[in-house]
Amino acid sequence: MALARPTLAAIRYGYGLRPGQDSPSDADGLMNQLAKGIAAKDRFPREGLVGRRETATRVISLRAAEAKAAKEGKPNENIRKETQREAQRIYRVDAMSRLAQAIHSPFGFYERLGSFWMDHFSTSALKSLPMRMIVPLYETEAIRPRMAGSFSDLLKSAILHPAMLIYLDQDQSVGPDSRAAQESGRGLNENLGRELLELHTLGAESGYTQEDVRAAALILTGLTVDNRALQMVYRPRRAQGGTITLLGREYQDDEAGSQDHMRMLEDLAADPRTAAHICRKLAAHFISDSPPAEITDVMIAAWKESDGNLGDVYRAMLDHPLAWENPGQKIKQPFEFVVSGFRALNLPDTNMAALLADMEADDDDVGPVGKAMQMAGTAKSAEQRRRRANEANALTLGALQKMGQPIWQPPSPAGVPDTTAAWLTPAQLSERIDWSRRVAKILGQRLEPADFLHAALGDAASPETARVIAQAPSRLHGITMVLSSPEFNRR
Amino acid sequence: MSQNESARNKSSNFRFSRRGFLAGACCAAAAPVLTPVTFAAMPGDNRFVTIILRGAMDGLDLVQPYGDPAFAALRPKLALTPDTGLLDLDGVFGLNPAASALMPLWKAGHLSFVHAVSTPYRDQRSHFDGQDILETGGADKSQKSGWLNRALAVIPRSDARKAIDINTSMELILTGPNQVDSWSSQSDFSLADDEIAFLDRLYSHDPLFAKAFDEARTTDKAADLLYADAKRGSGIADMARLAGGMLREQYRVASFSINGWDTHVGQAGQFKKAAGDLATAITTLKEALGDEAWNKTVVLAMTEFGRTARQNGTNGTDHGTGGLAVLAGGGVAGGKVLGTWPGLGEGKLLDDRDLMPTGDVREVAAAMLYRQFDIKPSSLTSRVFPGLGFDEGSVFLKG
Repeated sequence: MALARPTLAAIRYGYGLRPGQDSPSDADGLMNQLAKGIAAKDRFPREGLVGRRETATRVISLRAAEAKAAKEGKPNENIRKETQREAQRIYRVDAMSRLAQAIHSPFGFYERLGSFWMDHFSTSALKSLPMRMIVPLYETEAIRPRMAGSFSDLLKSAILHPAMLIYLDQDQSVGPDSRAAQESGRGLNENLGRELLELHTLGAESGYTQEDVRAAALILTGLTVDNRALQMVYRPRRAQGGTITLLGREYQDDEAGSQDHMRMLEDLAADPRTAAHICRKLAAHFISDSPPAEITDVMIAAWKESDGNLGDVYRAMLDHPLAWENPGQKIKQPFEFVVSGFRALNLPDTNMAALLADMEADDDDVGPVGKAMQMAGTAKSAEQRRRRANEANALTLGALQKMGQPIWQPPSPAGVPDTTAAWLTPAQLSERIDWSRRVAKILGQRLEPADFLHAALGDAASPETARVIAQAPSRLHGITMVLSSPEFNRR
Repeated sequence: MSQNESARNKSSNFRFSRRGFLAGACCAAAAPVLTPVTFAAMPGDNRFVTIILRGAMDGLDLVQPYGDPAFAALRPKLALTPDTGLLDLDGVFGLNPAASALMPLWKAGHLSFVHAVSTPYRDQRSHFDGQDILETGGADKSQKSGWLNRALAVIPRSDARKAIDINTSMELILTGPNQVDSWSSQSDFSLADDEIAFLDRLYSHDPLFAKAFDEARTTDKAADLLYADAKRGSGIADMARLAGGMLREQYRVASFSINGWDTHVGQAGQFKKAAGDLATAITTLKEALGDEAWNKTVVLAMTEFGRTARQNGTNGTDHGTGGLAVLAGGGVAGGKVLGTWPGLGEGKLLDDRDLMPTGDVREVAAAMLYRQFDIKPSSLTSRVFPGLGFDEGSVFLKG
C-alpha cells in the first residue's frame, strides 16, 4: 500500500498531521523544514542560552558554598531546598516547552532529528541537580544547530559539552600519570571513552578492543568542566600526556593545550564504521527496524562523498523511492505518540500554557503564576489546585513517565529502545489507551470521530478502522479509539 | 414552593460553603480526569439529576415485558420470567435481577420506568447523532447547546453562575451560555465491556496489536486497572457520591454518564454489569444525598435509543429505536411503569425490528423540570425543547 506523500512525510518524518499545517511531499520540502527549524529560535531553555548559564552557575555556586559550610558544621537546609525546588521547576518548564515546541512546530523533520540526535548523544537530567538545567541547554546549543552539517562538528559539539562531560563522568576522570592523580589519588574513568566508541561513533562489536577504550579515555583526560562558566575546559594537570595509541594511530599532547582529543574525534568521525553505524541507525529509526540495504548503501555513499555531511546523508535517504513506501513499519515512541496525539487534536498553545500554570500552581510554595492567580482572585482551593495539577501532569509529563520515556531522562547512555518489540507491549498499549481516554475526554468531546480520524491519519486510516470508529458507542470512545488505533501508533 | 423561599444561595455564600465541603472527607484523594460530573447551583431545595446511558441501553432487558406474549420468542437467550429470576413489578413487567438493588426504591414508591420512549431521531441509529439529539433536546441536530443548560436560564430566580474550570470537559447536555461547574471524582473508570469489545475489533486487523491487547486484558490486569470490573464499580460509586454530596450542599442540578450499554455480543454478561452500574449510581446518590434531600430529588436516566426487539446472531441486540427512561427519587410518584406499551407482536414493531416509540423522552424530561423547578410549560416548549408538545396535563406528571 502507498500513502499520499504528505501523509507519509508527516507520519514517518514528522510528528504527524496537524490540522491547518501543510505537510511536504518530497525530500526538498523536508530538507526545507530542517533548514528553517535550525534558523528558528527554540523554546527552551526558557531564559535563553546566556540566561541559562547564569541561572545554572548561580545555583551551582550556591550549592557549593552551602556544601562547604555544611562541612564546617554550618549546613543551610533552606539553600539546599530552595535550589532544589528552583532546578526542578526550571526543568519542568523546559520539558513542557520541549513538548509544546514539538506539538506546534511546522518543521516536523527538524523536530524529529532533534529527538534522534538527543537520543544518540544521550545525557540525563537525572544525573545531578544542575543537570536539570544543563541538559536543555545542551540540546539547544550543542545538538540542534549542528544537525545538518558535518557529523564531525556535531560529534565534537556533543562530546565536548559540559552536559556530556558530566553525564559520562569525564569531569571526574584524570590521567593515572597526571599531576592531578599524584596529588589527589584519583584516576581514570573510562565511561566517556567507552561510549564514544560503542555508542557515538564506531558502534558495538565493530572490532575495537578494551585497550582502545582505555586509550580513548586517556586521550580525553584533561577535559573537564569549569563550573563558574559552565564551559568545557582543558586542564593540563589532569591530562595523561605522552603518546597514546588508539586504533593504530598515535596521539600526543602538546604542552600548550592539547588538541589531540579533537583529532581523535575527527578520526573517529571519519572512520567508515561510524558512517555505517550512523546511516543504519538513521534508517532504522525513520523507516524500519530492518531497513533495506538499498537505502543504507546510498546513505553511506553520500556520507563518503561529502565527508560526512549529514544534510547530504538525509537527502540520500529521502531521495530513495523506498523512503516513501511500506508505511507503518515502526511503532511510535511514547514522546512521538503523545506529541502526535496533541497535534491531531490541534491543541492550542494557550492550553499548553494553562496546563503548565496548573502544574506550577501546585507547588508547595506558590510560584509566580500562583501569585498572579491569587491577585486576580482566581486562585483555587488547595484541593482543586492539586486536582488540576494532577490532571495536567497526567496528560503530559506524567504520561510520558508512565509510558517509559520521560523527557531528558533516557534509561541509559544508549538512549531509549527503538524497536517494535520494545514499544508494542501489553502494558504500553494499556497506557496509551488510558492516555487516549484522558485526552479525548478533555479535548475530543465535541469532535466527530470520523472527521477526527481523517484529521489524525488522512489516507493512512484503514477502512476497517474507519468502520469500527463510526460505530463506536460514544464520541468519547470513538476519539479514544482513533488515538489507540494501530495506524495511529505506527509510523 | 421551596424555590420561592429565599435566595440564600448567593454566589459569595455558595463559594464559601463549597470550600467547606471540599475540605471534608469526600474529596480528600487525588482526582484524575476521567469521571466528570457537571453541576449548576440555584435557589430552592429541589434537585434534578440526569444520567446519560451511553451506547443505547436495552430497555427490554432492564424492564422486561414478560407478560407480552410475543416477548419470549423474540429473545430466547435473553428473556427472563419471574420463574427464572425476573423481579416482578406489576404483573406485566419485571426488573432484571442485575438491578435488584433498586427494588427497595420501587417498593417505597421512589422509582418508575417509562417504556417505549425515544427522541425524535429516526432511522440512522448512530450513537453520536443519537446522543447529540438526546443532549441538545432538539428535533434534529440543529441545536448546539444542551437542553439542561438552557433550562437553567428559565428556572425562576436562578442566578447566572460563574464557571470555575477551564480544562475539565463538560458534557453536551449542560453546555451552553449558562455557566455551570465541572468536577471530577477521585476515581478513574476502567473500560466498560462494550468499549473493550470495540477495541478488540479495532485491533483485529493488526495481529501484533491484537496479541498485545489480548495479553494486556488477560495477564496484565494486576498491573493496569483499565480492565478491572471492581474498579469500574467503585469508580461509579465515587462519582455518584460526589454528585450526591454536591447536591446536598448548594448545587441543584447535576449530570453524569454511565457507559457500557452497546451490547451487540453476549449481552447477558455485559448487560448485567451495566445494569449493576446504574443501580449502584442511583443507590449511592440516595445514600449521599440523605433522606431529606433525596425526598426533593428526581433522577432521570435516559439513553439515545433502544435496541432491536429480537436478539441477534451473537446473543446480543443491535441498534433500535424505542427505549426506556428511568425515574428515581423521593420527588417521583413511583412504583409505576409509565408510557403507552405498543406491544411486540406481529406488525407492532417499527420496521419489523424495533420497539415502536410511543412517547417522546423529551416530554419526560420536560415534566420533571416542570415538577422540580416550576418552569412554565411555554418556556419548556419554546426555549428548552423547541417544538415539543407539553402542558400541565402531561401523563408523565403522574410518574
